[in-house]
Amino acid sequence: MSSDTRNSKGKQVGLIALAVGIVGIVIALFGFKQGWDTGEVRPMMSWLIALAFWLSIAIGMLFLVQIWYVFHARWPTIIRRQCEHFMAAFPYLLVLFLPLLAIPFLHENPGLLWKWMDGHNELPGHGTVAEDPLYVWKSPFLNIQFFVVRAIGIFIVFIGVATLLRKWSFDTDTTGDINNTHKARRLSSLGLFLTAIAMTLGSIDWFKSLEYHWFSTMYGVWFFSACIRAALASVVILTVILAFKGYLKGILKQAHRYDIACMMLAFTVFWAYISFSQYFLIYSANIPEETFWYNIREKNFDGGLNSWWWVSMGLIFGHFLTPFLLLLWYKTKVVIWRTVGVSIWILAFHLLDLYWNIIPGKLVTPDHGPGYIVRQFSVSIYDLSALVGIGGICIFAMCRSMKKAEPIPVRDPNILTSINYTE
Amino acid sequence: MSEKYGIIASFPDTPSFFHAAEKVRDAGYKNWDTYSSFPVHGMPEAQGQPRSKVPVFTFLGGITGFTVGLLMVWWMNAYDYPIIVRAQPFFSPVFPFPIMYELTILLAAFGTLGGMFITNLLPQHYNPLFNSDQFLEVSGDRLVIAIEARDAQYDVIATRQFLEEIGGTDIEEVSA
Repeated sequence: MSSDTRNSKGKQVGLIALAVGIVGIVIALFGFKQGWDTGEVRPMMSWLIALAFWLSIAIGMLFLVQIWYVFHARWPTIIRRQCEHFMAAFPYLLVLFLPLLAIPFLHENPGLLWKWMDGHNELPGHGTVAEDPLYVWKSPFLNIQFFVVRAIGIFIVFIGVATLLRKWSFDTDTTGDINNTHKARRLSSLGLFLTAIAMTLGSIDWFKSLEYHWFSTMYGVWFFSACIRAALASVVILTVILAFKGYLKGILKQAHRYDIACMMLAFTVFWAYISFSQYFLIYSANIPEETFWYNIREKNFDGGLNSWWWVSMGLIFGHFLTPFLLLLWYKTKVVIWRTVGVSIWILAFHLLDLYWNIIPGKLVTPDHGPGYIVRQFSVSIYDLSALVGIGGICIFAMCRSMKKAEPIPVRDPNILTSINYTE
Repeated sequence: MSEKYGIIASFPDTPSFFHAAEKVRDAGYKNWDTYSSFPVHGMPEAQGQPRSKVPVFTFLGGITGFTVGLLMVWWMNAYDYPIIVRAQPFFSPVFPFPIMYELTILLAAFGTLGGMFITNLLPQHYNPLFNSDQFLEVSGDRLVIAIEARDAQYDVIATRQFLEEIGGTDIEEVSA
């Protein structure tokens, strides 16, 4: 395929993605506006979930690329370029994060989404946020100024590392300069730490602090495993599409897919290990400040099972057991449609995992009495439109980046090993 | 010296060795093997070997470990000597999980090791191929294909001719 046809095809896909993305975003923002006026937080959570979903894929790819550099991995060189293209979405994701950041500054209730942002917010049972000793104790970390500083820092790390890695990798295409690879490797050694810290802070700030009462030291690692799983599943889908319809035809081999699928198996186990460890530690310690987080994901205040119980079971059997058993099987890792099927399955349950982590919350009862109401599982049109909207923008960013560089890193020192890779 | 184990042939370089293996496979021989001092990528396919059966042993070992861990904790904590710990139930699938998990890994590893021994027919203290001085050089730089006499298609003259045709040199009959 000549580079002109490639570009026009990529441009076409990019423009469609942009159009679909804008439509999705407009619908989602309409819901956002309604929630803003009525003080209903659910449409903002739709936005947060969709942002988390696409951000997790980009962060996962950022990790993968750096891990591959640090370990001098040669086989994924042709896949690395596709990840670099997707990492172009980071600046767009920053812009798409701004509506959420506007809530503490522009809304009459700064704590509409993150309830600790307004000391006047009432807590279920009794008292307000400002009177809560746990909040007072955590307030040096959980305050709006520091939150904004952290958000800026987090995106500086993501965008900075991604931009440098992309720049050096694309530069190698024209100059063939081996120093680019050395520089990328050196940056990755440091960048892994920076990315890990930024990702941990991001997950704590944006998702965990929704229920600021809670303690968990596993949360950052949980998000890491979720990011890598999402990224690996997306890499499979993306490279297979490119191998069927685009420029990876004849380049992406069974061996590449097999190795990615092996990593999918490993991180399926890792995700389960981390998620279970978090549950197990809290179960063993049995401290109310920690157990409530799991209690509301199982039962209502009156002790009856709620919708989240089914989602929890769905995660255990759907997000761990099913992909685990399927990926144990050699055929799943080499037969294209089976690998793609498992990848789509994992992405769907990754989304459900984000729902499970973000939406449940303790709400004040209508009569402001003792007890609480649990915000139940629901899927709204705004969830879907935010997901499609933000995804469209990310895919547009990726297609735009694809025009800037060779389809595979043609002059990378490891390209030959990657192309000739066998199991 | 009446009993024969089979015929061995050497090959000058890896590509001819590899393609010769493909030809032996296509000729329909079943009881034969290739010998080299280093792994040759794609050789299992060139030899037409089915996929290894070791994963089955691994899986069975893992399942056994998981079940044993579960039953062990149930038997000890809930049946034989019920103990109250932290006001939690005598038995639940949650707290034995580390034990189930560890035993799954341990017995899966044992299964893998055992499966490897079983499918490789190990330990094997005697192999007639070592009767050939030529064959001993395989641990150096020799690349050898051996076709065994127990193969249905084996014929002293025809097989020797066949090995010559596919580029084999230093062809030798090995005694059992």
